[in-house]
Amino acid sequence: MRWLARSRTSSMHNLICKFVDRLPLQFRVLYRQFLLRIVDLEALSIEADIPRFLGQFAGVLMMFSMINALGLLIHPPIDNIAYLVGMFWTVEQRMIFTMMLVVGLFAVISWDSIFPDRRDVMVLGPLPLTPHTILIAKMAASGAVMGLAVLALNFAVSCALSLLLGGFSRFLMILAAYLFTMIAASLFLYGSVLTVQGLMALLLPRRVFLRVSALLQIAAYGLFISVYFLEPTITSPSVFVLPASQRMLDWSPPYWFFALFNQLIGSLPPALSWLAQRAWMGLGIAVAGASISLLLCYLRTMRRIVEEPDLVPGAGGFHGAARFGGRLQNAIMLFSARSLTRSRQHRVAYAFALALVLAIVLSWIRDELSSTSLRPITVSFLISTFMMMGLAVFGLRSVFSLPISLTANWVWRITQLAPPEKYIAQTRRLLLLFAATPVWLVSACLALDFRPWSQIAGHLAVLAFFGWIFTELSLIDFYKVPFTCSYLPGKSNFQFVFWGFAVLFVLAVPCAEVELRALQHSYQYACIAASLGGVAVGLWAFNRQRARSALLSFEELPEEVITTLKLIQVRPSTVEDEPVGRLST
Amino acid sequence: MLELRRVSKHFSGIAAVDQVSFSARPGEITGYLGPNGSGKSTTMKMITGLIEVTFGEILFEGREIHEDLIGDKRRMGYVPEEPNLYNHLSGAEYLTMVAQLRNLPWRASAERIDGLLRLFSLYDDRHAGISGYSKGMRQKILIAAALLHNPQLVLLDEPFSGLDVGSALMLRSLIQELANRGKVVLFSSHELDTVERICSRVVILHRGKVVADDTIERLRTLMELPTLEGIFSQLAVEQDTDAMARQIADLIHA
Repeated sequence: MRWLARSRTSSMHNLICKFVDRLPLQFRVLYRQFLLRIVDLEALSIEADIPRFLGQFAGVLMMFSMINALGLLIHPPIDNIAYLVGMFWTVEQRMIFTMMLVVGLFAVISWDSIFPDRRDVMVLGPLPLTPHTILIAKMAASGAVMGLAVLALNFAVSCALSLLLGGFSRFLMILAAYLFTMIAASLFLYGSVLTVQGLMALLLPRRVFLRVSALLQIAAYGLFISVYFLEPTITSPSVFVLPASQRMLDWSPPYWFFALFNQLIGSLPPALSWLAQRAWMGLGIAVAGASISLLLCYLRTMRRIVEEPDLVPGAGGFHGAARFGGRLQNAIMLFSARSLTRSRQHRVAYAFALALVLAIVLSWIRDELSSTSLRPITVSFLISTFMMMGLAVFGLRSVFSLPISLTANWVWRITQLAPPEKYIAQTRRLLLLFAATPVWLVSACLALDFRPWSQIAGHLAVLAFFGWIFTELSLIDFYKVPFTCSYLPGKSNFQFVFWGFAVLFVLAVPCAEVELRALQHSYQYACIAASLGGVAVGLWAFNRQRARSALLSFEELPEEVITTLKLIQVRPSTVEDEPVGRLST
Repeated sequence: MLELRRVSKHFSGIAAVDQVSFSARPGEITGYLGPNGSGKSTTMKMITGLIEVTFGEILFEGREIHEDLIGDKRRMGYVPEEPNLYNHLSGAEYLTMVAQLRNLPWRASAERIDGLLRLFSLYDDRHAGISGYSKGMRQKILIAAALLHNPQLVLLDEPFSGLDVGSALMLRSLIQELANRGKVVLFSSHELDTVERICSRVVILHRGKVVADDTIERLRTLMELPTLEGIFSQLAVEQDTDAMARQIADLIHA
């Protein structure tokens, strides 16, 4: 048996190798190159290890899939059919939402990578290659990563769901329908993004396109995250046919694909067949739009890219007038603001934190729009504001750790004329200005819906203290000018950050409950405010004291993995080779 | 005066710079020569404090340079070998940032930046991103940033790299003018012709060690060679360059 299994594996491997060998060499070489570059290198660390990144990406999705599958398989036996339908519908919808979120995030991270860029045109242009070979290799690379995402996210859930829905008799049919739906939803979303990008690339002048594209990337990021968090789950067929649901369903592609799945397995109520039709139409339009716009882009914009001038004039005027504090403060402020707004890597990284803030704000606004009267402050509002503050401050602190150009850092070292505490003090101001203050202002606007005013003022004061405390916590051992210190990949690993925010959320709940009680008793409130103020001042003094003896860090060196015995000690040699004609002084 | 006394730099136990000693005086241009990898840029970086010295001393005006590194940085202008700049800034923004980091007065620095941009023919492109600049334009930005604060010690690590003929001629005159105004100029270059024209004396480095340190005239007399190129070839070039060229041509012809 073992021999049979080995021979089967071996023959499958041979088959794949034969298939790959038959592909043109140019395609194979380009495909491999583009697969390693499929992630926007500007959006991630420049020295990112792409295969490792893809491995981690697949690992997270597989874990998600396993958890969902286990949740499905180990539920207690239930006879209530309506409940079971609701449960399956919930899982189906959440998986489609999640699949579309993953593909959306992939589209954001791989932004522009499928379109011809200047580097490709300049490097590959002089070589004997046709544009369609480049295009097909890029599409194949994107397809490979998306295929990986579909399989990793769905492999366990699809099996569990197919087994529960169809038993052994219909297992394969439901599995095929499920995977087809997921692939269709992915193609629809990715195709739509490519269509919009392609149309813009064709219609707009290249320079304008590059600027708009950068903004669109951030907008798409916010949109995908917001939709994922805001989209309701519909668990009953009767809710689908309500007139109030029609408008939402019209504009909600995840439900179209939910209907498509149910149509494929034959469980879609006839009243909802129009939703499945929308899915088919949307899929056709997105795939056709993406194909046509990509083809036209490769035929028309490649020449335009070569012809564009090397030097793009920028807008002037602002740099001379802007002043924020002293000269050093001004330099750090402008450098940080420009790095954050002009570097795609840093914009996308900060947008990740801001998108979560946006999702919280939008979910809050949605709830508020549904209520008509002014009401007292609620625990959920307090938790939301704490979370927003934490996300913004710690998110910006993480972005500050990503260098913009390590090789150019020498200028900071050459010009370091002021003591390190001045640099660190300016980093504190930047965190307060770019993260804590905007969140505080947004929270103040959201709080207008509550009464009495005294409670609003009280909470805003507490929130300000939390902003200060988060800022000081961010500055512990952070002796760096923003965007200038080397970043060691893996040091601030994703899992750690994720669980850090989970802990923040867990802590926010009791804090909010305590604060809500205190807001109704002035003595308790005064005690809490004084405690928070004391903690903030204490942390500030602690950081200030340590900054005095700190050294600014521009390079983080990895820990030595080889322990040297230091048996050989290098000493200056005593033998002198006299140089030719040493000039006596 | 800048003085290096038996300065060494070891990377993982290997000497990149090995007991280098020389001095550069005010009003003189000291040429610092050597083949690729001989330790010129490492020496420059040690003088600026960008990397630590393993052994030896670096003195500026008779005082160890690390005793008051901040004070010395104020009087030091450095043009690095590679044009490493922040590409997301414009030329004007970069120079303004450097001026602010050097704590130069607002108005005076703005005027100086405008003047330097005009003189280096960068004024029209001052608001364009450095990412779009040519190698020569980047080099001009580096030179302008190094001279912005009127430094006493000027360290130029291959400053002619990427410059067109006109700019190179201008820079040659500028280096001479800086020396005439009493500045200490340490100048590293592979352009031996330029070095021969403008340097008062040269220090030649080979495999991290100083193999010659004198005026060009005296080296010519001592080694009985007519040009600096000949002296350099004898002291620091190991391969038979003609034979290598023939081998390359043969290889691609085969």
